[in-house]
Amino acid sequence: MTNHFVDMKNADVVMIMGSNVVENHPIAARWLEKAKEAGSIVLNVDPRFTRTSSFADHYAKLRSGTDIAFVGGMIRYALENNYIQREYVLHYTNASFVVGDGYDFGDGMFAGFDQGARSYDKSKWRFLLDERGLPVRDMTLEHPRCVFQLLKKHFSRYTPEVVCSITGTPIEAFRKICQVYSSTWAPDRVGTWLYAMGTTQHSHGTQNIRTYAILQLLLGNVGLAGGGISALRGESNVQGSTDAGLLFGVLPGYLKSPEVDAQTLDQYNKKYTPVTSDPRSTNWWGNTPKYITSLLKAWWGDSATKENDFQYAYLPKRSGDYSHMALFEAMYAGKIKGAVFFGQNPAVGGPNSNMERKALEKLDWLVAIDLFETESSIFWKRPGADPRSIQTEVFLLPACSSIEKEGSISSSGRWAQWRYAAIPPLGDSRSDLAIADSFVKALRKEYASGGVFPGPIVDLHWNYGEGHEPDVHLVAKEINGYDWKTKKQIVGFAKLGDDGSTCSGNWIYCGSYVNPEDDALALNGNRMAKRSRAYVYPDGSNDQRAAEAIGLYPNWAWCWPMNRRILYNRASVDPRGKPWNPKKAVISIIGEVADGKYSTFKWVGDVSDGAFPPLQNPDGSLREDGRYPFIMKPAGYADLFTEGLVDGPLPEHYEPLETPFLLEGRHPLSKTMHNPALKLWTTPEVDDFVKSAEEAKRYPIVATTYRVSEHWQAGAMTRNLPWLCELVPDVFVEIGAELARRRGIVNGDRVVVRTPRGEMRAYALVTQRFTPFRIGSGGRVVDQIGIPWHWGYAGRVRGDSANLLTPHVGDANTMIPEYKAFLCDLQKA
Amino acid sequence: MKAMLYDSTRCIGCRGCQVACKSWNEQPARPATFFAGPGYQNPADLASTSWTVITYTEVEQHGRVDWVFGKLQCMHCNSPSCVSACPVAALVKTDLGPVIYKPERCIGCRYCQFSCPFIVPRYQWDKPVPFITKCTMCYDRISNGGVPACVKVCPTRAMAFGDREDMIREAEARIASAPSLYLHHIFGRDEAGGTCVLHLSSVPFDKLRYQASVPTEVLHHYTDMVGIEGPILSWVVGGLALGLSGFWAFAQRKAEVANSEGESQDTTQRPG
Repeated sequence: MTNHFVDMKNADVVMIMGSNVVENHPIAARWLEKAKEAGSIVLNVDPRFTRTSSFADHYAKLRSGTDIAFVGGMIRYALENNYIQREYVLHYTNASFVVGDGYDFGDGMFAGFDQGARSYDKSKWRFLLDERGLPVRDMTLEHPRCVFQLLKKHFSRYTPEVVCSITGTPIEAFRKICQVYSSTWAPDRVGTWLYAMGTTQHSHGTQNIRTYAILQLLLGNVGLAGGGISALRGESNVQGSTDAGLLFGVLPGYLKSPEVDAQTLDQYNKKYTPVTSDPRSTNWWGNTPKYITSLLKAWWGDSATKENDFQYAYLPKRSGDYSHMALFEAMYAGKIKGAVFFGQNPAVGGPNSNMERKALEKLDWLVAIDLFETESSIFWKRPGADPRSIQTEVFLLPACSSIEKEGSISSSGRWAQWRYAAIPPLGDSRSDLAIADSFVKALRKEYASGGVFPGPIVDLHWNYGEGHEPDVHLVAKEINGYDWKTKKQIVGFAKLGDDGSTCSGNWIYCGSYVNPEDDALALNGNRMAKRSRAYVYPDGSNDQRAAEAIGLYPNWAWCWPMNRRILYNRASVDPRGKPWNPKKAVISIIGEVADGKYSTFKWVGDVSDGAFPPLQNPDGSLREDGRYPFIMKPAGYADLFTEGLVDGPLPEHYEPLETPFLLEGRHPLSKTMHNPALKLWTTPEVDDFVKSAEEAKRYPIVATTYRVSEHWQAGAMTRNLPWLCELVPDVFVEIGAELARRRGIVNGDRVVVRTPRGEMRAYALVTQRFTPFRIGSGGRVVDQIGIPWHWGYAGRVRGDSANLLTPHVGDANTMIPEYKAFLCDLQKA
Repeated sequence: MKAMLYDSTRCIGCRGCQVACKSWNEQPARPATFFAGPGYQNPADLASTSWTVITYTEVEQHGRVDWVFGKLQCMHCNSPSCVSACPVAALVKTDLGPVIYKPERCIGCRYCQFSCPFIVPRYQWDKPVPFITKCTMCYDRISNGGVPACVKVCPTRAMAFGDREDMIREAEARIASAPSLYLHHIFGRDEAGGTCVLHLSSVPFDKLRYQASVPTEVLHHYTDMVGIEGPILSWVVGGLALGLSGFWAFAQRKAEVANSEGESQDTTQRPG
């Protein structure tokens, strides 16, 4: 999240799309309720009328997988009616950049596509640069090849009629959403955009989010209180785990994980450190060498020296895709011998469960670490399997729950909050940290006598205490980082070095655990454990009223980066430093003005995104020492047009891999049916999609999957709790009343849902909250159903997993599976 | 006198209250299948182990489908019929507002069940020595300065707790601030002579499956005479109740045996 949960109360309009926040993050609803009480309007767009829709003021339905069409239409509405915050767009986004001649777009395809490789040559999308290497800009925004005009042209095709013929939204409901949301273009009116897995889990998931970002930037909503892009994470510490490098493409702190062509630290730094020739761009990633070196120092300590490249050679270099689906493809092909599932239950949570469960059989060994026996740990005795024919050796290690251990947990709003153990671990269970610690110690013992590549393991800097349990405070202190010689904690990442003088396990957490003398309000320097409502900053500056008004609570826990509660907050002021929305100022200037120029100045309020002065003086004269607010982008401007994604510089609507438009052979916007850059698998058992019009007739119903308030993810933690089992004991399918009537199904019937991948049985919940969609120029009726995916064959209450149905296909950029839109058929069992 | 204010328009149907109630009052879960009531409702109604239940109702309003939630629980009447019907004063109206239950006095006559206009008290048919159960407004919490468990856990503050006059004023203020949203009716202000649980809603209260037809008159006069016979009556009805429990236990045992035979099979293969 650019902002945080408490900040939702500041929004004038809240858009909830691709998220069922009220059901799946009920505590967030507390802040939405406060927003509503203060008079804000809540909008919800979802295929199904949910508990969130009931909470919202206006609801519009859309067919799963059509977000880009919907929001593309909203972008068009804002552009055509000039509901944009022009000054913000001009000064803070790349709207004025002129795009080079290589760029082109036609019939759903961008320039530079290589059909054979199914990938784009991104060099075709570059900006035009002047002789100094700076982007050529047109401040009138009239140049036919400037981003603003290209954007306008691109989305001009997304008329309400075309949009609604794709999404199946009633046109009046679509118009209402456009009207209400675009009202936030006014500088003192702010909208926030909430999304979750309903947005990401598509073969064009990243581009879905891009449409949200583009609209938020056009309306001038990023950086302001009550604005921003709010990614509601699917689990309480998913933010923390991605921060810590959970995904294969990143190391801790979102440093890139090295690829094969970066064999030395020097090559790594050259490849992954962006450069800018603009002296007014901060280009924060220019600090990459400091952060990677400090990380290597944290991992390999004294053995990491300048001479040996700080043991950079010990880092694995990737040459392909190591995402969830790729790993299971490899496992299925017998290429993976062993696996460790740390609180993971892919036998329920992974797409195409039948295939993934079968893949587990190819393992020699499996270690499952969980609170309960899970479907993954007992895959060998699942219904239909013959345990005698499965040779995998399975170890189940009992883990303790969050209340039995101490440590930090990072919320979606980037707050790292320290927790204490309420009770000692029950039975033989141990904390994840204790298990990881024993693992490493045992490995080091094995490798001490030699091995194929013992260095990375025996040289590990592993010093988390000598006691029976590792000391979690020592881990947190190393994540923060310290001076290698003096062992003093580093107070902020600006002090990290690229010469091995400092270590930091995760640069964005630098500042979370400082020296006791650095922060009077933090016990022993642990800022994550702070629980104070005070507004006094360590440097003495204070803006009590502003901080209270927008609920910053800077001394409650700690937030990365540098306790900055709202990212890009220098975009919350105009180029002269005056807040766009003075009633809810995030930062403002205290300073003296002489001759129309700041002679002294200081930001107060939130921790500003860099201490730099604004771009202009009060009299409008340029300040050479001013810096653009989007400091993480090399050019310093937010991307309306991007060179960063593999599937296009602008979002374009594509259908999900399985789409009812197979019958028409195209969708209303172009003949390019699917995201051209999406990755398809070649394993025959996995290449089982609905591909033809013929098959689409056999599987005519759109399906999606989701969660309910009462259960958690793959269910191990909730299907073992009797109270929650009593509330929602059985897997069910939500079916619109009209479809149910046509299929002769009544509420409570058992039904069977089929896709080419498998079938599942469930109870039918017949509801008015799902209604048919009318799509295409003819208004053909298409039905959609929805299935919560929490069930499996372990636990107190059991049932078929919805992922028996879902396909093995993912987003072109992230490889997140397309859980949210596929085709199926439904019958009474 | 204290009161709870439940605002259906703020409720999100998350059922944190249902679980918090069971957790604080140490009530077990009962096995369930699918949903026993409309929407996601479980169990079908208040039960001896479920003192509050959230209801789900799909309604058409303002030309669109809406989904509204209600909260069943004891209304804690100002002049409770259950108290007047109880021959042994096992039910007591406290000064704080809650109607509480003293199991050590209860003889199991179940007159309270029949007298309650909101159909709230439940009987522990599954216990060898059964008692009446119902919401106590967490008397143990509020008499120590706390708020009821369900109020405490509610993420959207759909429930408020305070002095009854303040709660009525708050309810009136909410209706006045959003007159097109709310039904202009505070359920419980006058019903049965007034109750310590007040409800606001955007739809008629019978849609939330409340006993919306309860009149505004004080009802306890109808049941006052029951208490006269005192101890003699208590032995008679007590004996009767014990006998009924025996029958129930026998029937339940049969059902359980049948159930456990079914349970030994894999539940994923449960027949439709």
